[in-house]
Amino acid sequence: MKRIKKIIVGVCVMMCFALTANAQKRPLKLDLNYNYSIPFSGFKNDLVSNGSPRGFKAGLIYSFSDQLSAGLSFGFQDYYQKYPRAIYNLNKTQQISAVISNSIQTTPVLLKATYFPKPSTFLKPYVSLGAGANIIDFKQYYGEFGNSQSNVGFHAQGGLGLMIPFKKTSTSALNLGATYDYAPYKKNGYKDLNSVNIQAGIVIELK
Amino acid sequence: MKRIFLMLIGLTGFSIIYTSCTKDPVNNLTADESRIYITDHDSSVNFRDYKTYSISDSVAVIENGKSFHDLNDAGQAYIDAVKKHMGQAGYQMVSRNDNPDLGVDVNHIINTFTGVISYGDYWDDYGGYWDPYYWGYPGYGYYIPYAYSVYQVSEGAVSLDILDLKNASTDHKINVVWTGLIRGSGVFNASLPTTRLKLYLTSLLI
Repeated sequence: MKRIKKIIVGVCVMMCFALTANAQKRPLKLDLNYNYSIPFSGFKNDLVSNGSPRGFKAGLIYSFSDQLSAGLSFGFQDYYQKYPRAIYNLNKTQQISAVISNSIQTTPVLLKATYFPKPSTFLKPYVSLGAGANIIDFKQYYGEFGNSQSNVGFHAQGGLGLMIPFKKTSTSALNLGATYDYAPYKKNGYKDLNSVNIQAGIVIELK
Repeated sequence: MKRIFLMLIGLTGFSIIYTSCTKDPVNNLTADESRIYITDHDSSVNFRDYKTYSISDSVAVIENGKSFHDLNDAGQAYIDAVKKHMGQAGYQMVSRNDNPDLGVDVNHIINTFTGVISYGDYWDDYGGYWDPYYWGYPGYGYYIPYAYSVYQVSEGAVSLDILDLKNASTDHKINVVWTGLIRGSGVFNASLPTTRLKLYLTSLLI
């Protein structure tokens, strides 16, 4: 997993260099955001109820027009929660007294479209929609004894936000946004990893 | 140029979040939180049918398939805690020669296993933790002339077994009617039985 992370980070850096070199005729933008995630529905009830301050979202966006852009988006979020010692039934006669820790890392890779209803105003509100795959790394520990499993699942995302250009003529902007992320996770009786996310970051035009 | 610089700063920041800021669940546990207590029992047994018990006077140490009996402070603490909580649950302790209904034994299981580590793999990561810059040689690489090394790890657990002696002669066997296992950090620490065994025995067994 560590190597996969290194590869993804490396590929991302290389893509940025490559795209920067070829960006003169392409209105490409790089979107980098800090992300705070709040688990929702089944995720909150069954696995992690704590919000996660450890995450980011990034994307490469191609502008088709002033109103519509689309691109590839990916993110990373680390969720963790430790529950107080409790007694759990393992089967009809077997019980365990343990502190359970859930550790979940999600890496959604999405195709994402963004629509700006008022492109001529200084502040640019937008709505976005994305769908793709979610790489899920789930570790559950009873005390210090854990097991882990990795899966790839479906991920969809709807969001809204506001772009605030650095200057009136600037193509780069500050981004403030929120998304609802739908991520089904039908493993071991769990339902989903749905979450509400709040982002803040920058959008830089690659020239 | 300025934008590339900004991008690289941003990407470096996100890379740090990506690779470093994941919480390690095991490092975030105290020794007490690291321990697990597992119990199982024979569902066909009614524990109210048993009135008396006897407990072994020492601890069976089971180490890599061999066993011997020993009694140290931790073993005595376990035996004393079992006596205390069995008494509180209404069982009367008798000598093992007085036909006890139940027999209780305490076991210390030590599992030592040996593994092989490849220095090549290990040093790939090790170089990242101790950058040659630290030793005053920035830009240098490490050279490791050895291929493998052997390591040994000992893992401990404590088990408690409750045996049905009342029906042994009828069944021609000694049924284990309740069993418990404690694993994790410091399970053979003398202070553990007095602080935690009450929960273990009274909430799970009786």
